[in-house]
Amino acid sequence: MESLQLLLDGFGTALQPTYLLYALVGCTLGTLIGVLPGIGPAAGTAMLIPATVGMNPTPAIIMLAAIYYGAMYGGTITSVLINTPGEAASAITCLEGYQMARKGRGGAALAISAIGSFIGGTIATMGLVLVALPLTRFALKFGPPEFFALMLVGLSLVTGLAGRSLIRALLSAVLGLLIAQIGIDLVLGAPRFTFGQMELLDGFGIVPVVMGLFGIAEIMINAESPSQNVFTTKMTTLIPTRKDLKDSALPIARGTGVGFLLGLIPGVGAIVPTFMSYAVEKRMSKTPERFGTGMIAGVAGPETANNAYANAALIPLFTLGIPGSPTTAVMMGALMMNGVFPGPTLFQEHGHLVWTVIASLYIGNIMLLILNLPLIPMWVAILKIPYSVLSVLVLVFCVIGVYSLNNSVFDIGVTLGFGLLGYAFRKLDIPLAPLVLTMILGPLMETGLRQSLEMSQGDISILFTRPLSGTLLVIALLVIATSTFRAFSAVKGETQV
Amino acid sequence: MSMKRPYQITGVVFLILAAFIAWESLELQFYSYIGPGPGFFPFWLALVLGTLAVLMILQATFRRTDPMPADFFASRAGYLRVGAIVLALTATTALMKVLGFQLTMLGIIIFLLFALGRPSLVVTLLVSVAGSFGCFYLFNRLLRVPLPTAFFGF
Repeated sequence: MESLQLLLDGFGTALQPTYLLYALVGCTLGTLIGVLPGIGPAAGTAMLIPATVGMNPTPAIIMLAAIYYGAMYGGTITSVLINTPGEAASAITCLEGYQMARKGRGGAALAISAIGSFIGGTIATMGLVLVALPLTRFALKFGPPEFFALMLVGLSLVTGLAGRSLIRALLSAVLGLLIAQIGIDLVLGAPRFTFGQMELLDGFGIVPVVMGLFGIAEIMINAESPSQNVFTTKMTTLIPTRKDLKDSALPIARGTGVGFLLGLIPGVGAIVPTFMSYAVEKRMSKTPERFGTGMIAGVAGPETANNAYANAALIPLFTLGIPGSPTTAVMMGALMMNGVFPGPTLFQEHGHLVWTVIASLYIGNIMLLILNLPLIPMWVAILKIPYSVLSVLVLVFCVIGVYSLNNSVFDIGVTLGFGLLGYAFRKLDIPLAPLVLTMILGPLMETGLRQSLEMSQGDISILFTRPLSGTLLVIALLVIATSTFRAFSAVKGETQV
Repeated sequence: MSMKRPYQITGVVFLILAAFIAWESLELQFYSYIGPGPGFFPFWLALVLGTLAVLMILQATFRRTDPMPADFFASRAGYLRVGAIVLALTATTALMKVLGFQLTMLGIIIFLLFALGRPSLVVTLLVSVAGSFGCFYLFNRLLRVPLPTAFFGF
């Protein structure tokens, strides 16, 4: 009850017109930054920190938080409309959202994303108020064995991402794991598969990889046809139908759960919840074979998970001072610049500020919805630009976004390389999602396992004897067993490779 | 025509890749006193990749495969357009540090517009100037994103 009273006080401050204006400016700037391919929330928030210099801490942090979740939503727009993820976490939205856009239903996809983001973000913020501390303490029980087991659960969902062939999906997944091996070995510090190239010591960045696999490959595929009439269907409706809303209700609920729970665990990152949510939706669907053709559940679930994660990731930051992702690390820096040090004493020392920021998260989520629903026709109008011109502009933004990550032209070359790989995979009907998911999970899983074995001095039973990791391993094994059985049953009688 | 031959070729490519990775990973420490070394995971992953590649080749050879999609091979003009994109991004990688962002992008955009769609002169000029000088102003000056400059401040 005390939390609710403090929250109401926070609303009293956050609803002041000046603070509302800062939240509005933050949401708008965040959405615009998020729309630019490659410039994700972390880079966007970092880029706009100077805009808050000279402000008081409260408006500065309200504005930065609004930029953060505005950018999370903005990344969806280009994923849906031009198959180029605005940020890496939106990559999975390309699979269904872009197919919806090609069928003239891009507006509905964006509207469902906005609604799902609003619901996911709001519920996660409620969690921040009601159960932040106990849940964070629970999340802190995640040591390396639990982390390894959790990542294995994520990896087990790869079979759910398979299209028409389990072998092709597994090849893609193993290739992703191998690509993740490139760079410095995180435990012993030995370089692996770098071939003397300094640029490879950090491995391949996820942004150049997804920009290449999805964005550049899409442009190459479309360039093959002479007319390049990519959007042959006229945009029919900009608002979701009643059936769309009904089909999205459960995915939104599940996406909220996935995003919220993973947001509590530091180090998971924003991409894992979206991919896991997509895999969950495909597994839960009565028509999984229709995934990849524009299923709204494949947009609603991941987009909800994305924003639920974004808001939940603030919980370990606020309560323990642990930034769980690059973006929350930037947020932490911004808080510290303003003399606010996140951690267990934050609520005592800066209670008024924190509750005002939490209240502004609610307001920001509503603002984002109000801001984005009317803007959908404007975003969809992008598709009226002739594709030959649009594709060139997308290439320019990809180059800027990729280059700006490390100020490196090498990353542009990486994007081109993965563009060619994505082009070949599309031709061969090899799914891209398993590669991206395993590329992210691989290093986390390997580090978790090797640290676990270091803890137990090489005794692998540490993974099974700890209750939490043991339970997660059982779940992973069950998922692998059932999905493998399903996959083989599905292709029984068929002969696809 | 079926997808038999493309999948056989893909399987062979994956098999060669797996052999190469397994060979390279043997150069790395396989196991240390604290558990698996840097070569442990790549070696086993390479074996799994190799096994899957062999399965792909066997399935493609001995079972019926999908028919080849009509658009599997593009026309000559289609491949030339794809080649133009590859060439443009290769040139961007090679030239951006030398010529700077603005001049490189100006040239690349004009080339790509010509190669992909040949819009009118006005559109070409507008898009190329906006995509090069306009983007540089927006990102470098307003958003402080560092983009390379070369001679004469370009």
